[in-house]
Parts: sequence; C-alpha cells; structure tokens
Amino acid sequence: MKTDIVGLIYTGDQNERLRELARIRSVAALPMLGRYRLIDFLLSNMVNSGMHNVGVILQRNYQSLLDQIGSGREWNLHGKRAGLTLLPPFAGSDHGSNYEGLLDALKSNLSFLRRSTERYIAVCDANMLYSIDFIDLLKQHLDKNADLTMVYTKQRDVRRNGSGRYFGLDNDGWITRLEFDPVIPRYENTYIGAFIVRREMLIDMVDRATSQGMHHFTRELLVRILQDKTYKLAGYELPGRVWYIDSVEAYYNANMDALNVRVRQDLFKPNRPVWTKLLDGMPTRYASNAKAINSLIADGCIIEGTVENSIVFRGAKIGPGAVVRGSIVMQDVVIGRDAEIENCIFDKGSLVRDGGRLIAPREYPIVVGKNLTI
Amino acid sequence: MLQKKQCVAMLLAGGQGSRLGVLTRRTAKPAIPFGGKYRIIDFPVSNCTNSGIDVVGVLTQYRPLELNAYLGSGAPWDLDVNNGGVFVLPPYSTGKDGQWYLGTANSIYQNMEFIEQYDPDYVLVLSGDHIYKMDYSNMLNYHIENEADVTIAVREVPWEEASRFGIMNTDKQGVITEFEEKPEKPKSNKASMGVYVFTWPKLREYLISDERDPNSSKDFGKNIIPTMLNSGEKMVAYTFDGYWKDVGTIESLWESNMDLLKDPPPIDLHDDTWRIYARNVGLPPHYVGRTAVVENSLVAEGCSIFGEVKGSVISGGVLVEEGAELIDCVVMPDAVIKKGARVERAIIAEGAVITEDAVVGEATGNIAVVGKNIVLEKGQKVLAGEQVGQ
Repeated sequence: MKTDIVGLIYTGDQNERLRELARIRSVAALPMLGRYRLIDFLLSNMVNSGMHNVGVILQRNYQSLLDQIGSGREWNLHGKRAGLTLLPPFAGSDHGSNYEGLLDALKSNLSFLRRSTERYIAVCDANMLYSIDFIDLLKQHLDKNADLTMVYTKQRDVRRNGSGRYFGLDNDGWITRLEFDPVIPRYENTYIGAFIVRREMLIDMVDRATSQGMHHFTRELLVRILQDKTYKLAGYELPGRVWYIDSVEAYYNANMDALNVRVRQDLFKPNRPVWTKLLDGMPTRYASNAKAINSLIADGCIIEGTVENSIVFRGAKIGPGAVVRGSIVMQDVVIGRDAEIENCIFDKGSLVRDGGRLIAPREYPIVVGKNLTI
Repeated sequence: MLQKKQCVAMLLAGGQGSRLGVLTRRTAKPAIPFGGKYRIIDFPVSNCTNSGIDVVGVLTQYRPLELNAYLGSGAPWDLDVNNGGVFVLPPYSTGKDGQWYLGTANSIYQNMEFIEQYDPDYVLVLSGDHIYKMDYSNMLNYHIENEADVTIAVREVPWEEASRFGIMNTDKQGVITEFEEKPEKPKSNKASMGVYVFTWPKLREYLISDERDPNSSKDFGKNIIPTMLNSGEKMVAYTFDGYWKDVGTIESLWESNMDLLKDPPPIDLHDDTWRIYARNVGLPPHYVGRTAVVENSLVAEGCSIFGEVKGSVISGGVLVEEGAELIDCVVMPDAVIKKGARVERAIIAEGAVITEDAVVGEATGNIAVVGKNIVLEKGQKVLAGEQVGQ
C-alpha cells in the first residue's frame, strides 16, 4: 500500500569524534551490524512504511554512500513513478558544496520538495540507528492536528552533556521550549532529528526563513516558530531503542548491543526486513577447529580461528589459531594466523599479519583504518 | 521485432524429480534449496549470466509456482534486461490443440516460436538438476570452431561408474561416433552432462520431424541425439573437467552439499570471478550463541545457533536450540531443531520442525529426510533412509 509521505534523509553532519571511521565516509555510510550501512535502516524503515519516494541529501565524502545505495534497487526504490533521488551538492549555489545546516540543504533542494506529490514529508538525520513506523508517526501527527511533529526519546544513554537537542513538553504533548547543547540537559526528551510536516507547509517555512537569513532549521527556524507561536509543534515518542552514533565508543557500543537478542528483535522485525546492497557471497564457512560464541557473523566469511563477542562483516577471514574478542571486523578484513585482537575496530579491507597482536581496553576501542596493515 | 541473439538458452525444468522423494512432492526439483543460500536453478542461470547469455527460457510443467516466484524479473541474475531476460515457459494452448510437454524434445518443439523471436544461430539446452560452474561461451566457441551441428558436453567419469551414464564414443578428433545409454561394457568414459549446443536451424528440422514420428518418446537422449547421429550430422564432444554433480537423488543431493565442506572444496563458491547468484531474502547476519559449537560447516544469514553443528550445511533463518545436535546434515531454510534433538546424515527440508528429543538419521546407512513444513512428534525416530513427508 502507498503511504502519502515523501522521505528526505539528510546526511550532512560530520563528527570528529568518529575519527577515521567517518573521515573517509559520511556518517550515513558507516558499516553497521555485520552487513549494513547506517542509512540502510532509515531507507528500509521508509520502504517498510509504504513510502516510495525518497530523497537523500548528500554532502562531502559521499562516494561510499553513492556506491552503497546506487539506484535504490535493493530497497525497491528504482520504480518509474517515484523511487530514490540522490541530491548531491549543487556547485555554483550560494553555499558551494557545504551546507551550514539543514535549512540550507532544504533551500538548495526545494525543487525536489516541489516536484514531489505526497501531502506529507518526513525529514530525518542519518546519524542515529533506530526502527520507526512512519505510518504510526503520521497517525499521531493527524490525530493531534499538529503542524509539525518531532520524534524524541527519553532514553538516557543518548543524552550528552554539552551537546544535543532537547525539548520540553506540556501535559498535552506540545513542545514548549527547545534547548541546544546544554551543559546538563534540563529536559528529558532528546530530539532524534526526525520530523513530519505537510510538504507545502515545509516549503513555505523554508522560503520565509531563508529570506530572513537563517541557516539552521531547528536552532533558528523552530526556535522562532515557538517564540512567535505561528505553528503548533508536537512531540512523538519513539517506541523502540535509539543509538546516537556520535563517537567511536558510541559506534562500538551500538554494534555490540546487537549481540543482545532483544535488540535484534527490535531492529529486525518479521515482515520489516532491512535491505542492503548485495554482495552475493556464499554462506560462511567454519573450519574443523573454528570456535565462535556470542557473535554476529555475516555471509561470505571464512572462520578458521576463534571469534568471541564480536561482529564479523561480509567476506572477512579469521585465520587458523587467530583469536578475535570483543571486536568489529569489517568487510574483507583478514586476521592472520595466530593473531590476537581484542576490543578493536578493523575498518574495511584492513589486515593483521600472522601472529599480530592488538589489544585495547573495552572503553577505548582501537580503530585500524581502511586498508591498513598491522 | 526483437534484436537478434547469437545464442538462446533453454533450461529443462519441467520434470517432477520423483527420485528426490518427499523433497519434490510439492516443489519442482530446480527450486530445491542447495548449499545454504542457493536453489539448484541458480547454478545454470548464473552460468548463463556469467557466460554472457541473456535469454534464458525455463521450461516448467510440474508445480511451477515456486519457481515462477523465485525467478521473478530475473534481477538477481542481472537478467532484467531490455532485450532478453529469463522467461518461465509452461505449456500453453494454441487454439484447438495445445498439450502438456510430452518429453524434453517436445517441450522445446512447443516453444519454437519463443526461440525464433530472437532469430538465434545456436540454442543451448540445459538441465535444471546439476551443480556446476561452467563457461558456456567456451563450449559455444568450440562448437563454432568445429562447425558442428551438435556439441555435447562430456566429462570423464571413473571407468567403473561409466555404465551408469549416457556414454559418448568418439574418434581422435572428438567427433562422436556412437552414443550408448548406460552401456554394460563401456567403450569410453566420456559421460554426457546433459548440456548441448545445437545449431538452431538443424535442431529445428529434427524437432519437427521427431514430432511427426508417432513412435518417438520425444526425448533428447532417446530420440533427437541418436537420430541426428544416424543421419550423419556432425556431433562433437566438448570435455569439461570442472566439478559437476547430478543432484537428482537424495544421496547425490546430500553428497554435493557435503562437497562444499571439503578443504579445499571441489567447487569454490567464494570465487569472485564466477559468482552464483541467488534471490536475496534480506536476513541479518547469523548469530552464534554462548552455548554453540560450530565446526566444519556452512552457516547462512538469519540463523541462530545455540546447539552443536558439525559437518553440516545450514540455510538461512534456521534455529538450532541449545542441546540440539546436528552432524553431517543439510538443513534447508527456516527449519527449527529443538533442544535434545539429534540429527545425523539427514536432509531437513524448509520449515520442518525437529521437535524435542526427536532422533533423525543414523551414523551409517542411507540419508534420512524430513519433508517441507513437517513437524515431528516429541521423541519421534526417523531411521536411516526413511522419509517423512506429506
């Protein structure tokens, strides 16, 4: 069934605390949970909510994102009537290739907003991992007769002292105040960077705000709206868990949390498959003396050593006698014979030589950059 | 008018495959799962794609629905192309006549119009029950270089097994001089693989005359090939020395799955240059629990393993509970092996449930089979060679 919502994913935000993981790719393209990229979850959530028209705003380092989503075929977004629209930065525009904020990005992509035909638009940042039913979000938005509904969570571990966006709600669920980067957040509601609004209303908001010289959607425009009481802003509490991927540690923990069966049940619901780019690898092959416990292991791997409490991506090879503990081993990584690694993140294509050893404390996982050899 | 194609592939997928017992009672043989994430038909279809053949007609007759849904638009095999693609071809009515496919040759005869849409020079005829990786373009080039009318792919089998196959006797140049079906005293060990290249105008001529012969059983092996040979058409043998396995029986299907566990495996499916494609089911990586033991096995995505898995091929979405034991088994998608169950030398079909404390198969003897969606009773025993099905 078709849903009357167009999706727009904003992949702009950079984050230095993700270090080398996000220097070579946008946050949206971060490899997750053994076979996915972060954006796969949002795209799949949209498709599973019956949305057929999705735009992705690209910015900086977007090659790996382009490679990942391609024509959108894996998400069935390659149709004629709608499908996937990639929105790269438009050279020669006022902002060059960098948007200062979401508002700039929306302004530059007004033509996409105008030529979409859906009545509603859901705009989402791509730096969080969660599962959402946009139909349920729209239902609350309509039931409440809100002008714009912002998605939030009360989950404590997405709060950050000194950063983040929070808001206060009155007893009827209307947003009363917004708070940005507080030393200690005053409100318990963390905004997760996703909202729904009538498409034409958004176009109108963007037009007016940019004519007033604003760049930031939430920090400037929404704050002004609350002050002037021009529109009614509601909150929608996300029913499931959220992971805010804003540092190497947060990235590591989000992946490790997927070893918990309840987390997987929340992210991978029956009839709501998470789609991703295919690699057509064969099932993973375990050798006679392989040992694996409490691990998530994707297709196309060869496991000849020991894997414990780890996430192993497609096509990785764990050599004989090697021991991998508490680590994230990305696509096509090779862990040599008798090597030992603990609490490490091996980026795509990296390699540990035979007998190599790399052990980090669990609180500070070591990142081995893409295609590096140690 | 469609664009001309040099070669069109026709895949014979209509037989019931009754030697696979309960496995093919509700499923056509080419749709049987293989190797943890494939179906048998993925092998010939992927071979076509990798060989640059982009018109594949799939002749179906027996229980075709699953196969139709599986092939779909052909996108998983890159066959959703503008001029060509994968086509499921069941028998159809042509007015007052129209009938079921009466034999392999008749099924091609009934689809001559399909073939002629592409005005091909050659037709490649394939079977839907073989596991192999083969570059058909090499065979086609061999056919062209030899100016043959028919080229038959053969493989050299051990002499003691030769009497189980259709054997090609050839001269020194590889020209076939005699064809013997399952000879008692074989003169050659070149066994037909059931892969043929025909020069289309020739095949067309023989299909038409065979159709008129009331005594013909309208079969390639029994009628078309011997008649062409007797009429002096040029038939050559093309020797293929890679892995090839007919998986038309329970034992051979099990063996071929087990071959994937050998080190090194005789057929390498990790090969980047010759991928075997399959329809994606969108499952997360598999999870191996704290109590699991997984040794010398293949495990596909979406599985949850808490028990012991040794020497087995485990397909997507399978659950093996703590305390369950699997030894030398082939487990097809979405089956459940409950705690305390012990399964050895068995094939467990899609969605079957091996209930608590059930015992399936034995350390020796024939392979035990539990059919699709069968739920065993608690503690039920299925002996070696026994099949449980609907």
